[in-house]
Amino acid sequence: MVAPSLAVDWVAVTVVGLTVVSAVGVALFHRRRLFALILLSAVGVGVSLLFAAFSAPDLVLTQLAVEVVSIVLLLLVLYLLPRSTPSERRPGMHVLRMGLAVTLGVAAAVLVHGMLVNPVESIAQYYVDNAVPGGGGHNVVNVILVDFRGFDTLGEITVLAVAAVGIGTLLHKFAPVLPTEDQFPRAADAHPALLRLQARVLLPLALAFSAYVMLRGHQLPGGGFVAGLITGGALVLQYMANGAEWSQRRLGGAHHRLVAAGVALATLTGVASWGFGHPFLTSTHGHWVVPVLGHVELASAMAFDLGVYTTVVGVTLQILTTLGEVTVPGSLSRHHDGWVQEGGA
Amino acid sequence: MMAVAFAAGVGVLVGAAVLLLLQARTYPVVLGVVMLSYAVNLFLFASGGLRRNAAPVVGSAEVLADPLPQALVLTAIVISFAMTALLVVVAVRAQQAFGDDHVDVSLGEDGDE
Repeated sequence: MVAPSLAVDWVAVTVVGLTVVSAVGVALFHRRRLFALILLSAVGVGVSLLFAAFSAPDLVLTQLAVEVVSIVLLLLVLYLLPRSTPSERRPGMHVLRMGLAVTLGVAAAVLVHGMLVNPVESIAQYYVDNAVPGGGGHNVVNVILVDFRGFDTLGEITVLAVAAVGIGTLLHKFAPVLPTEDQFPRAADAHPALLRLQARVLLPLALAFSAYVMLRGHQLPGGGFVAGLITGGALVLQYMANGAEWSQRRLGGAHHRLVAAGVALATLTGVASWGFGHPFLTSTHGHWVVPVLGHVELASAMAFDLGVYTTVVGVTLQILTTLGEVTVPGSLSRHHDGWVQEGGA
Repeated sequence: MMAVAFAAGVGVLVGAAVLLLLQARTYPVVLGVVMLSYAVNLFLFASGGLRRNAAPVVGSAEVLADPLPQALVLTAIVISFAMTALLVVVAVRAQQAFGDDHVDVSLGEDGDE
């Protein structure tokens, strides 16, 4: 396979330009923390547009969904930190930093350029040829994730689970002291009526959309990771709009159980293939004619994808809700069986 | 030309990330880690070559884009979110424990400042 030669695409060049401007902006204005975060989210959107320009629809969906939850994460952290970074008084350090940054940046650019203009021998054709006969799916990226390289993915959702457990442990019974000076102004109305109403209307729509993305994942762009992030984002919106106590009462607080259930389901899907005398994580697929739905192509790897979905929902909720809860000191206290409200809502 | 633009973009992202990583407070370091993960994801993605209108869905185009880097980057995006979250929580705990978000706590009061 030879490296594809690309005609200059001014839309893609513009996207690169905007991403670069935002990235430089983050580096220049990082002392103004909220402003830097807004610029950073612009870099993230730019990156997802680049994925869109160069034929990676799965990555666009994932990057945009992750962008939402990571900006919420960093906003929560800003609640606990001063709003600006004090400046350091060592001018020599600044020159050293700039020198290192420019050197490494140029080195990375040269490396990427060399990689793009030189022909590569890719093993991609194997996956493209075998996706439909071997994995029963047309979306090669998803088939690789849940079938060909399912063991990798199992390892990756385990990493997610470990990170979620670590965060839960680090924040257990943690009551932070909020900064007294240079802090962000607190909202007068914690749960604005408009946001509350919109969030409730949006929830069923978001859940339906994530189910759609989940089900089409094996054939068209989508899948467990993206669907999990969409569901997680929609549920986190309920926490933001209605408060932890309201959401906790409806959703239950045991998100770590969801994480465990997801990893367990994915592992069990792998173990199940032993029962049929096949190696770990072997998948099967078939074609059925179901009344009403018509022709349906199902793969056992979709159960594995459901495990991925459950883990991602659990991890997202676990990370953002535990961090969200510690930013409301005094109003809530933790008991062994859940939350009891002490202050006024 | 497209390759030059893409490569320059990744280079600027790496440069900005390194600059942020070398700051003395935890918050810019976290921003730097996020920025570096964008750059690394684009780098991995570029290893499959850049193609227009060739989404790796069987039957959608004559020649498909390389699906393997895309699958690797997809999980990398989600994992970098979890790692950022872990880093952020460690940073918050450190800031609460030492009353300062300087990355080198022993220098926090009278050394570097």
